[in-house]
Amino acid sequence: MKSLAMRIYRRLAWAFPHEFQMVYGADVIQLGEDAMDDIWEQHGFFGLARLLADIAMRLPIEYLSEMRRDLAYALRTLAKSRGFAAVGVLSLGMGIGIATFSASEFFNLILPDAPGVKDPGRLAIEMGTSYPYFEHYRDQRDLFAGAAAYQGPVPFNVSLNSPLGGAVNSKAERVFGHLVSPEYFSVLGVRAARGRTFDAQVDRPGSAPVVFISDRFWRNRMDSDPDAVGRAIQVNGQEATIVGIGPRDFLGVTPIRPAEIFVPTTSPAAMVPELAGDVLHKRDAKFFEALFRLAPGVTLKSAEAGLDTITRHLDEESLDPARNVQGRRVTLVPGGKLVPVPREVIPLIFGLALLLDGLIVGIACMNLANMQLARATTRRREVAIRLSVGASRFRLIRQLLTESVLLACAGGVAGILCAYLAAAVFKRIKLPVAFPITIDLTPDWRAVLFTCAVSLAAGIGFGLAPALASTRADLAFMLKEGALAQVRGYRRFGMRNLLMVSQVAGSLMLLLITGFLIIGFDKGNRVDIAFDPMKMYLLSLDPVRDGYSAEKAANLFDKLPERLQRAPGAQQIVLAEAPPFSPLMATSTLAARSDAGAPDQVVQKVAKQTIGAGYFAALSVNMLEGREFSPSDQRIDSSKNQLLPVVLNETAAREFFGNRDPLGRRIAEGSRAYDVAGVVKDLSAPLSGSGDTAELTSQIPTVYFPLTRSDFAHSPVGGMTVMVRATRGADTLEGVRREIASLDPNLVMFNVRTLAEQVDEATAVMHLDTFFYGAIGSFGLILAAIGLAGVTAYSVARRRKEIGIRMALGARKGQVLRLVMREGGTLVMAGTLLGFLGAIAVSRALGAASSIFGPSFAAGSRDPRLLLGAPLLLGALAMLACYVPARRSVKIDPLIALREE
Amino acid sequence: MPKPDAFLPLKTNWFHILLSLAGEDQHGYGIMQEVLDRTGGKVRLWPATLYGSLKRLIEAGLIEESGERPARKFDDPRRRYYRLTRLGRRVLDAESVRLQELVRILQVKRGLEVLE
Repeated sequence: MKSLAMRIYRRLAWAFPHEFQMVYGADVIQLGEDAMDDIWEQHGFFGLARLLADIAMRLPIEYLSEMRRDLAYALRTLAKSRGFAAVGVLSLGMGIGIATFSASEFFNLILPDAPGVKDPGRLAIEMGTSYPYFEHYRDQRDLFAGAAAYQGPVPFNVSLNSPLGGAVNSKAERVFGHLVSPEYFSVLGVRAARGRTFDAQVDRPGSAPVVFISDRFWRNRMDSDPDAVGRAIQVNGQEATIVGIGPRDFLGVTPIRPAEIFVPTTSPAAMVPELAGDVLHKRDAKFFEALFRLAPGVTLKSAEAGLDTITRHLDEESLDPARNVQGRRVTLVPGGKLVPVPREVIPLIFGLALLLDGLIVGIACMNLANMQLARATTRRREVAIRLSVGASRFRLIRQLLTESVLLACAGGVAGILCAYLAAAVFKRIKLPVAFPITIDLTPDWRAVLFTCAVSLAAGIGFGLAPALASTRADLAFMLKEGALAQVRGYRRFGMRNLLMVSQVAGSLMLLLITGFLIIGFDKGNRVDIAFDPMKMYLLSLDPVRDGYSAEKAANLFDKLPERLQRAPGAQQIVLAEAPPFSPLMATSTLAARSDAGAPDQVVQKVAKQTIGAGYFAALSVNMLEGREFSPSDQRIDSSKNQLLPVVLNETAAREFFGNRDPLGRRIAEGSRAYDVAGVVKDLSAPLSGSGDTAELTSQIPTVYFPLTRSDFAHSPVGGMTVMVRATRGADTLEGVRREIASLDPNLVMFNVRTLAEQVDEATAVMHLDTFFYGAIGSFGLILAAIGLAGVTAYSVARRRKEIGIRMALGARKGQVLRLVMREGGTLVMAGTLLGFLGAIAVSRALGAASSIFGPSFAAGSRDPRLLLGAPLLLGALAMLACYVPARRSVKIDPLIALREE
Repeated sequence: MPKPDAFLPLKTNWFHILLSLAGEDQHGYGIMQEVLDRTGGKVRLWPATLYGSLKRLIEAGLIEESGERPARKFDDPRRRYYRLTRLGRRVLDAESVRLQELVRILQVKRGLEVLE
């Protein structure tokens, strides 16, 4: 027993930290052996256990205390070289901050489930379907445990009636909500916190109007009124009864666009203009989203395949123009998430983010490794002395690593601050959409954890190699020669050179990739306006939701342009369904009728815009061919088989008709045909997309439809936009206000702004992106310059003696300068070449793999400014970074240099 | 030199070690034995803890390794001897003053209790 205990005791004693063991190891063992008999006699078995426990507990304490001393020592060393520490913390902080910010994007937007929803993993959404299609889908019991249709975000003008019937709170507020089929809540598995949810058995067409409100609405707008259920409120001017209040955090199926109230599809069209025109029975009215709960055992993929078959069948029946298109007709995206994003897209988006983040953190690390290496070489003597007095190599490596990890942790803290800052900036930017969006990118604990992991990895990453290199040394040689030891001449593939080359290459890659993106974004999203955008006012009206009947609203818009013309300085008054240069949703499918027998030319992902007479003239855009809409087009009654004219943009004209003249030809959507009356150049529409993802291009085929009386009755999400082009400033706006008030004082004017503000808003995200990528690119550039300067400075310092001898022997200053610069120049050239090739390869690969970045890369990577400019800029900066410290070499006084040591 | 008061109150282990070294220089085993004897076997400084404390006492400058060895017939050449530094002695003094003060206060209180 005693001998076993002694064996364990000895093992443990050997495990003490090297220094402790060197000094006390033998004594501890000796004392243990001496005391063993005594302990055994006095305490028996428990005494032995106590002896072992004592030494086992002492082990971590000794290690910790050593670590603390390492830390204190590292702090002292870093405090001594403040410049190095500052550059390190700053560069790592920025790198890690950017990485944390994009990680937060993943953790806060993509990963989380919609709150308040039961079993969100089993939900799926199909975007853009019609109600009759949905009714067919709903019956597929083998695929779906439940299905619902919804439309959202939909604006509602809501005013609360006072309980006494008087109009206490008469001012209507614009609230966004969902228009839902009665199955909505049961499919989501959401129960009412008070009252009831909708029910297909109870809520039928023709029953009294009802509304379901969210907890947020109840708290913020009704002061948590305990008698809210059963109260009547005004919704779009019609009375509706509150039947229930949602659970606390429930904000609808896509909480990123929060829904405050829910109105059933069984409501009368007078209350919900979205239901006007009998959309519930029109197969081509693809205004709804279908929400499914998958049946047990059914996957997203198999449900999609099943739906596809059904949809093709339905398309065939209803002669949908897209019925002959190859490929899937239906795309299901995972529901129950904050944002519905197709699964395939996620790795792509985050692939690019990960690549850029990796490059940034990688470059920052390489830079620090380089500086650390240079420092380590000047610290050779210290290292050698410590090794020779008995420090173990492991101990020294740990000491050096502590320093890097400490630096990295400080960088991590700076990074978290940086990420918070970025999130705060992002929060202040208003997104160019008509409905509220909740995006919170504040880093949470997962992002912080991620940051810590990255910092730790970075610390070890850039600390380990220099630590290994600097402790592998010939002691006697180094002690003799000290820091000025000439280290075997110029090594072509030394670690420092490799680091330098890869740093230059990485920086150039970063600069080029971000440059491609910036130029691509810029080309795709620049808004060109041929006049002063401060002199066009935009304002929105939504008379239908102010309680107007369809007829009355149509009459209002009919006479509105004429009336507003009376305002002083008003030049042109134009109506449109959406403000100009706002994002387009390219989700429609239209077909060009062919001449004789040939199949129709079907074009998918077409954007539709509905505009009033004189729209293009007001924007100073000339027609390329044909004419634009006139007031008479607005009066065409489309129900009487009269053909409506349409205007195509250039891209649409090309995609529908190729090289043929489009004027007078027909295009059709569903069964309705239109007459092409004109062609206009592509107008930019930043942030447009086809529903699944934002595509960063302006080349979206767009069909312009004229506003008609039925559009006036069915006002869009953002209300009807009135564009007022004026010759003068603010008094025109005052005149417009007066005219509208004189028409009807109850008409609510909202979203009043100039075109300049509208464009700023639309491009704010782009500017943020440009700034973001620009910062990343220039960050890499600065890092590379710092790294090069450090290495050159070090190389000059190392060769002081050699340079002194050369100069003593008669070398001229220019020759010495050239000698020093040649070394840096070779590295820069090699790095530039590698980086250039790398950037081209990466952007090709990313561009080919993704429809999101493809156009940007295609547009950006052909830009000669960038292809020539970036390498030249980097090269010039790098040579400058070499030159500044190299100049010091010619100032070396040969006498002093030779006398040293 | 740091002030002795900075070390007060002394950790138990430190106090016992300093007390053992107050008379003469000692090696580790000797310290352990003396503490055992002095406390009637109640306090045992286990080996690893003992050397951990010795290391810290040296770092704090309260004790140092002694260069003097005892007479040859008592000397064990494998062992290292430790002795108090001037600081260590002053810390020990300060601690005993502190303890005396505590005992005095206790006695005064006791005395008062008895008087009542």
